[in-house]
Amino acid sequence: MTTFEHLPPPSIEDPAADERTQPFWDATKEHRLVAPKCSNCGTFRMPPARFCPNCLSMELEYVPIPGTGTVFSSAVVHEPLTPAAEGHVPYVAAVIDADGAPGIRFVSNVVDCAPDAVEPGMKVQVVWHDVSDTLTLPLWAPAES
Amino acid sequence: MSLKDQVAVVGIGLTYAAPDEAVAVGDLAILAAEAALDDAGLDRRDIQNLAWATGAGDPGGMAAAMGVPEVSFSANLTSGASGAGSLMLAATSINAGFGDVCLSVISFQPIPAGGARTSSAYRANFVAGPGAYGGAMAAAPEDAFTTPAGISSQGATQALIANRYLHEHKVPREHLGEVVVNQRANAGDSLTMAEYLSAPLIVGPLSAYDCTPDFEGGFSAAVITTTAARARDLKQPVVLIGGAVTGGTPSHATPFQMPAASFGSSGHRDLAAPLYEMADVGAQDVDVALIDDDFSPMVLMQLEDYGFCDFGEAGDYVARGNTRLEGGKVPVNPHGGNLSRAYVKGLNHVFEAVEQLRGTARNQVAGADVALVTGSPASIPLSAVILRKA
Amino acid sequence: MTTTEPAAKPFRNMPAPVLSDPYADARTQPFWDAAKREELVAPKCGNCGTFRMPPTRFCANCLSEELVYEPIPGTGTVFTFIVVRHPLNPRAADYVPFMPAAIDADGAPGIRFISNVVDCEPEDVKIGMRVKVVWNHVNDALTLPFWAPA
Repeated sequence: MTTFEHLPPPSIEDPAADERTQPFWDATKEHRLVAPKCSNCGTFRMPPARFCPNCLSMELEYVPIPGTGTVFSSAVVHEPLTPAAEGHVPYVAAVIDADGAPGIRFVSNVVDCAPDAVEPGMKVQVVWHDVSDTLTLPLWAPAES
Repeated sequence: MSLKDQVAVVGIGLTYAAPDEAVAVGDLAILAAEAALDDAGLDRRDIQNLAWATGAGDPGGMAAAMGVPEVSFSANLTSGASGAGSLMLAATSINAGFGDVCLSVISFQPIPAGGARTSSAYRANFVAGPGAYGGAMAAAPEDAFTTPAGISSQGATQALIANRYLHEHKVPREHLGEVVVNQRANAGDSLTMAEYLSAPLIVGPLSAYDCTPDFEGGFSAAVITTTAARARDLKQPVVLIGGAVTGGTPSHATPFQMPAASFGSSGHRDLAAPLYEMADVGAQDVDVALIDDDFSPMVLMQLEDYGFCDFGEAGDYVARGNTRLEGGKVPVNPHGGNLSRAYVKGLNHVFEAVEQLRGTARNQVAGADVALVTGSPASIPLSAVILRKA
Repeated sequence: MTTTEPAAKPFRNMPAPVLSDPYADARTQPFWDAAKREELVAPKCGNCGTFRMPPTRFCANCLSEELVYEPIPGTGTVFTFIVVRHPLNPRAADYVPFMPAAIDADGAPGIRFISNVVDCEPEDVKIGMRVKVVWNHVNDALTLPFWAPA
């Protein structure tokens, strides 16, 4: 298992998933990125809330997406915002437009990169952070050219 | 009937408790209400309506403790609504005919010295709806989709929104610095641009100067409103509510999913047109602007949302001096705002607007007739008010 | 919060103990000091003479903060009461039935003491019944007034 530079501070060890969200974490455990989408009207939603805000349907599916994307916005956290973050700064918080999932963004981190080099428009690809037996997080690193 | 000019702000009162004073927030509120009643020349037995923003305790309990004889209206706004919003609720209650005199209160629990964070950058996000941000522990299943990113603070949220705006419009940090340096100068501080630019960042682009400091100690602020007709018989110059709106786009409650076109904005875009229409004014009529300024980038975005300049132009607009106290076309936050003092949930902006229109402000804008007051760009409802001299 | 568990019940049909400290501040401490001395006092506005219960910071009649504690005889009348037979709190299982009551205390018009009628059976309690104060010494910090048939 590789470790990444500038990981976000440790937080949850378990996604506290229910039936509705579990498929996302089943996929990430297998290092597959999927995006929550309304099966009724096709609108993506994030997070995968119970009801589609477009049509109110509860039908939800998880669509495989390529794992590439673009940084929409980012911010370098220099100071620990909570006590748990002591010793884990700087890290980069980011909002990612993922290819194949228009209309939603992944709220995550850009790792393996000098924090000051991250900016909107940067191309990224998903990397996998195996936190525990039940939680693998998708993170984002600069796309290999 | 439209709210326009039906209701006046007739009394304002503010009270502080030092960090080590053992004082209950409800008692502080009574002291502030007394000060506001005194300012208005009214008595607590005149109060009929209670219109709160949020988080100021129970209006009914306070009315009982103050000996208010009878209440015709008691309500508060939802979620993150602030002082300007309470004026909308107060004006609505009076305009609807429920009672003539309304008390609105904002109160903060005393924080012991050293117990407060030094900056609002660290303040926890509102949890707006299921699983928006969460804390350190994922509670709802939706939380796991945002919590791990380590952004559980308003500073991080504001920075993510601001950076998109700054990137899209190529706004240099100096333009944020202009906002901060101007307001600090208004408050009597001598902060230079060089000092601003060299301050360490908390979350880029925000340093401590870009975020309102947290307040150590407790405070309560109260406002008394009544009908325009009754206001004319009272002792203060009449300050009318020309327009008051609350609302906004619900998608701002999960801000990172907002459409790209409105992502780098304060969320006030949808409030500006209805507000101006209700008050029958335009941006060009505003003499002084009390812009909610918990974070400096939001000041730039609100200047655009309220039509003082085009989208993407606010940085230049500020850098050219348009918002300065001396010689500015529309002075912003002559009292220094939240960036210079602490976060008083928007009521200190209402207070400053009232003093400007009464002609009693410390940094008086000459000839101020129309004031814009905006409320916190947090989750909905956002709020905004136009006050004008009768 | 801890609860006190008396070895034996000092009063018949007393309520379950729930409070072990009055959490007094400078304003309310005089009431509890007097109770410890087995003296019943009533909070009264030092400015306009209106009694208030509980002793809040401001007088609802005149907004004064002047507060005095006036000694009163310790007799009174049951204004209203209930009989608790079902222990909603499991800790009360050994204490039901008990009789919470609002007492009009002689010498303190306009306020009522929220307390309990003790040392009698539930069926003996009546609205309008005359009662007198008895003292429950819970611990060093807390003595509570109860009311028994006069």
